[in-house]
Amino acid sequence: MDDDLTVLELTVNGNRRTATVDRRELLVEALRTRFGITGPKIGCLTGDCGACTVRLDGLITKSCLHIAVAEDRAEIETLESMSVGGLTGLQESFWDNNAFQCGYCLSGMLFSAAELLERDPKPNEDEIRQAISGNLCRCTGYDAIVTAIKRYADRGSATVEDVAQ
Amino acid sequence: MIPTRFEYLAPRSVAGLVAALDEESRLLAGGTWVVPEMGRAESRPRRVVDLRRAGLARISVERSRLCLGAMCTYSDLLASEDVARYAPLLRTMATGVTGGAALRNQATIGGSVAAARPQSDVPAAFVALRAVAVVSGPAGTHRVPVAELFLGAGRTTLAADEVITGFEMPSSRTSTHGYVKLKRGGSSWPIATAATLLRLDDAGRCEDACLVLGGVEEVPLTVDLTAILGRPPGDEELDAAVTQATAALSAPWTDVLAPGDYRATVTAPVARRALTMAWANTGE
Repeated sequence: MDDDLTVLELTVNGNRRTATVDRRELLVEALRTRFGITGPKIGCLTGDCGACTVRLDGLITKSCLHIAVAEDRAEIETLESMSVGGLTGLQESFWDNNAFQCGYCLSGMLFSAAELLERDPKPNEDEIRQAISGNLCRCTGYDAIVTAIKRYADRGSATVEDVAQ
Repeated sequence: MIPTRFEYLAPRSVAGLVAALDEESRLLAGGTWVVPEMGRAESRPRRVVDLRRAGLARISVERSRLCLGAMCTYSDLLASEDVARYAPLLRTMATGVTGGAALRNQATIGGSVAAARPQSDVPAAFVALRAVAVVSGPAGTHRVPVAELFLGAGRTTLAADEVITGFEMPSSRTSTHGYVKLKRGGSSWPIATAATLLRLDDAGRCEDACLVLGGVEEVPLTVDLTAILGRPPGDEELDAAVTQATAALSAPWTDVLAPGDYRATVTAPVARRALTMAWANTGE
């Protein structure tokens, strides 16, 4: 085996898996190219944009700021974990409020919003803006994203139909 | 992918960390600065020594001193009742850290001090709190006031085989605090920060006061506030403290965010806002 290759074990979206990775790879790169999980996107590679956001051992983080081999045996949840068996109410609210176009920012926006709503189910607009502040979106101008999160929070476990009305 | 080859180690003890360090190694704490720097090949260590498995994320109170492991993240600070009680300034600081929850879950206080970036929140706040760094190296463990660690932008007195394992700071629970930072937008690094602590005696006079500015010079700038000690904090004292802040500034820092003359201009209002916040809280 090449000197730079090593085996990485991750639990990705509930499945324990192993893959051979280059020890110079970032976590986001290993997830995408070695594990085939493309929900996390490669954006800035500086930790600014949030496109690569995942949950790592329960906490949201930017996966471009991690060396993949350092996370051996970690539990990772990616955007894909949100929509097993259909979209979540939060995702439906993004859909209904035109809160995305290209979708690059969705990992960051959805994980940040979900993390906020776990801490505080009824956030105000300022708190929502604070919560998504580590994420860049070049399509929406943010207002639609804030609206989507606010409407979802205000409706609680609202159905799609409720949010769309 | 990081372009250069490196060996990755995550020792399980402080002794293991120290043994792994040499001129060609780089310590990895949260990774928010070191990993992208390696990605850009601005840093090309032969060995990456990760602190994560060395048990350095504890928060405790020992003889009314707050002890923080170097690997404490901003989220750890925010979740800690000891931090809220003994160093409320840190809670205010951590709340406003740029980058959202994802960054707060990852970036560490030890990493921020060791990186010694002028525009980071932690260095000046720790100087204001009179924090002492616990440093381990081949010769053993010693303590250094954080104020004495910084030599310049990105430069500290730490040797290549030394590691900050934690910090200790006196309780500031009897002081009020102010913390203000100026930044261009939600995702910007701070341009200037001001951290201040104020303690009044029973007669309502300033018994202890400190003001430390971050981002305005290469290293945290401590402002001499002896002029207001023994006096009740009023408008005149506020003006005197702000005057001291601008007088203390000698070599304003320039970077891509702002030129030095801009920082020189904002020093007074940023200092004034932090002082006003601490002043106002004395009534509580």
